[in-house]
Amino acid sequence: MKKNRTLIFLFMAPTVICLLLMYVYPVLRTVAMSFFRVESVTADMGLWRFNGVDNYVKIFHNSGFIISLRNFLAIWIVGGVITLALSLLIAVILTSKIRFQGFFRAAIYLPNVISAVALATMWVQYIFNYDYGLLNQLVTFLGFDKVRWLGTDAKLWAMIAAFIYGSIGYYMLIYISGIEGIPTDLYEAATIDGASKGKQFFRITLPLLKGIIKTTITFWTINAATFYLWSKLFSPVQTEGSTIVPVIYLYDTVFGGKGVVERDAGAGAAVGVVLTLIIIAVYIVTDKLLKSSDLEY
Amino acid sequence: MEKTKNKINWKRELKMLPGYLVVIAYVAFMVIMLVWIFGASLSTSREIFTGKVLEFQSGFHWENYVTAWKTQNVSVFFGNSLLYSVVSCAGVLLISAPAAYVLSRWKFRGSQTIRILLVIAMSVPAIMIIMPLYSLAVKWGIKGRILLIVLYIFMRVPYTAIYMLDFFATLSHDYEEAAAIDGCSANKTFWVIMLPLIQPAIITVTIFNFLSTWNEFFMALIFTSGKEMTPVGVGLLQIVNSMKYSGNYGGLFAAVIIVFLPTFLLYLFMSRRIISGVTAGGVKG
Amino acid sequence: MKKLLSIVLVAVMVLALGCTAFADGTEITYWSMWNEGEPQATVIAEAAEAYEAETGVHVNIEWKGRDINTLLSAALESGEDFDLFDDDYTRIGQVYAPYTYDLTEMAEAAGYEGYACFNNQAIAWAGYLNSLPEQPNVGGVFYDKAAFETAGIEAAPATWAEFLDACAKLKDAGIDPLAQDDAYCNFTFYYHLVRYLGEDGIAELRENGGWADNEKAVQAVQDLIDLVNAGYLAEGAPDAYPSSQNKIGLGLAAMVVCADYVTAEVNANTGTEVDWGMFNYPTVEGGASADAYMGANSLAIPSYSEHAQEAFDFALFLTTGEWGQKLADDCHQIPADPTNECTSLPGAVETLLAAEKPMSWCGELNTHPAWQTMRDMFVEMFEGKYESGAEFCAAMDALYE
Repeated sequence: MKKNRTLIFLFMAPTVICLLLMYVYPVLRTVAMSFFRVESVTADMGLWRFNGVDNYVKIFHNSGFIISLRNFLAIWIVGGVITLALSLLIAVILTSKIRFQGFFRAAIYLPNVISAVALATMWVQYIFNYDYGLLNQLVTFLGFDKVRWLGTDAKLWAMIAAFIYGSIGYYMLIYISGIEGIPTDLYEAATIDGASKGKQFFRITLPLLKGIIKTTITFWTINAATFYLWSKLFSPVQTEGSTIVPVIYLYDTVFGGKGVVERDAGAGAAVGVVLTLIIIAVYIVTDKLLKSSDLEY
Repeated sequence: MEKTKNKINWKRELKMLPGYLVVIAYVAFMVIMLVWIFGASLSTSREIFTGKVLEFQSGFHWENYVTAWKTQNVSVFFGNSLLYSVVSCAGVLLISAPAAYVLSRWKFRGSQTIRILLVIAMSVPAIMIIMPLYSLAVKWGIKGRILLIVLYIFMRVPYTAIYMLDFFATLSHDYEEAAAIDGCSANKTFWVIMLPLIQPAIITVTIFNFLSTWNEFFMALIFTSGKEMTPVGVGLLQIVNSMKYSGNYGGLFAAVIIVFLPTFLLYLFMSRRIISGVTAGGVKG
Repeated sequence: MKKLLSIVLVAVMVLALGCTAFADGTEITYWSMWNEGEPQATVIAEAAEAYEAETGVHVNIEWKGRDINTLLSAALESGEDFDLFDDDYTRIGQVYAPYTYDLTEMAEAAGYEGYACFNNQAIAWAGYLNSLPEQPNVGGVFYDKAAFETAGIEAAPATWAEFLDACAKLKDAGIDPLAQDDAYCNFTFYYHLVRYLGEDGIAELRENGGWADNEKAVQAVQDLIDLVNAGYLAEGAPDAYPSSQNKIGLGLAAMVVCADYVTAEVNANTGTEVDWGMFNYPTVEGGASADAYMGANSLAIPSYSEHAQEAFDFALFLTTGEWGQKLADDCHQIPADPTNECTSLPGAVETLLAAEKPMSWCGELNTHPAWQTMRDMFVEMFEGKYESGAEFCAAMDALYE
């Protein structure tokens, strides 16, 4: 087809402007900012003072940031494995010959349309409550001692559990569409060959879902890295170590939290850069892992 | 299909029992949560804090709903969220569809760079870009609803463009050639012929964009500077906080229900569409 | 042509003059840290109307909520158009100070006195008076008088020994002595540490470490661990906020270490009217300080405001006299005007007036790089995870490596 330069230019211009304004410039500026001492986020570049890698040294010496990274890893790895496994399981169930598929799919996706603020409030005030919460009622009914679900040991896991519960529906839908895209004659052939359901899952479903699994891992990684609201709602008065995540740390560092008067946008930028590097590393690793095992069939 | 539905094959159903148990447990838990939230919205703070939510010893406190509705601008929040979602969905299409089309049809200087940039941009975390955007907004004096609309549009452009690119790529060049013979300009060909051809993709990606804009929280929190531009998510957090500070937990959950209900009703009517949208959108991304 | 121009000019001038004279005059914009629906917001909105009726100055209120602190720095730096705002006076004094109006002259002219402790502190931070308290807070031990009566405690405890004694009596009477929520563990801890070391002593430890070698620090932590081990904390404490403090309203617990807003919170949360009493956090033997925590949410004016006088007048109108009283009464808070009466907590005004230097929330400790770990450790200590003060202090020192 003939090239139409005016058309190309006109059609591309808005997207290019968007890329430059929303992504290229901000990313470059954040990277640059992470090497400067910048107090206010709106400070002109003239007020920046170069201080090398001091911002990075500072955040890696701050236990708030270290704990937030640790919590991020817990959310990403433990939460990720459980969420993706459970949603795959439910997807398999809901693509089998079960009844009321439509209802179950809609119901399980429902938490995604309820506001997270509402869900988290309910988890904190009801499910995990020490005195009358649902879980402790269950625990005492079974004859055990009450558990401090929101104590320092358990709070992170309580938060992750609540988050997982709300996230499953979304990943389930993605898996369902993947499974439904697999030609049914593959399964029919396998059934004739006498392969059990379990075998069919590991021999047919899982390998063919590889691309989709990669997608869900990517989505989950972005979700875990931008995890913010649940942490805020699980520590209602002020930021707590047990639930702090990088975005919360960044927010407090840049804007100052309760009782915190120091603001450091440079350090905040460094947090952003570190987190982005982690995400990139994750992409590369998952890409390698899932590609190398492609050879199996 | 319809016939098998009427006749229950008990033996087969029994085999599916573990499967049923898993999904039923999941749904039952959700029902408990919703019932509790609804019960709490009709209770006093004291009843909530003594675990007597479903006993209604002091009757049903419908006035919680009155307080929650009156003292807060729930309707404004809804209006804003709707505005943001609708306008940004339209804006995203206007910007990314032409770009996706051009990228799928021609190679030109920089086209590969733009493609790569779009893919990278899709996974740039918000915290990496939020600070410069904040200072730009302050420096240029952009504020109010338009600021969030622009941000939401730009936020969805990379994903939408990449998504539609694949669909345009599958369209045959015959369409354009036929149009060119008829004397149709390239510009018109795109808007009148090519764009309608990928309608299913447009619907899917729009549902996807709509939901993510509706649920967006972090940007809204950072860039919202007043009631008149607050979307539902941040607005609900404000309500929850003010109810918490004033110790009105019944009102808090009433607010939760008020905000939840319209979304829920919409979901009831649209769940099939939404689910197919998310499913298709997720796979492509 | 020239003639026409001059006529137009004159007309414009007349019009402009007329406008200033006739128009309902000035409008000031107030960025408020409250949300609509909160009692403070209700009173403020009414006060603004009353103020307009009286002076003709319209107060345009924008409810920003508590996240106002994310907006203020950027807004002040970029010269955003507003004339009055409120936030924690600590932040106003330390962060916004370069952009706040010097209120000294206006305060003098209006004969404003307020509380010396807050004024002095603001001047110490900003170099000049830059904020007017709107909601003063005072910390201490808040208790249910009825519970004390049941347990037969006659006088409010003044020393740690008396405090433990009261705890024992309460426990005997079947009431959990001390409620403690996780969110306030650092506050209780800091309070007790201040008693032994004073804020300067803690600042010294914060800087150089050496907790385990500091006998007083070890003793302070040991005191608290003993308190926990004696079973004086409420059932389930340290609990998720606000579960534990609510127990006072439910008649299950007697005391809580917090600031005065806890009384209104508990009353509202539990739908009761607890007969609240308050005493200063108990002193310890050989201690260094008996200061009480004091803080305030305060009003301030941007330095570039063109209506600073009107804004200041409204701030005074709101926080003193009739409206100051209403703010204190309706919101169950300490009056910002010492000549008003504190109906929610008798004696609070006197405590504030008598104080010279307020104790801070957590001093400089919260700027320590390991602050998040410390906060967790404080909660863990109340959870009973540390055997002794020495063990805890050794763990603190380990954070300095």
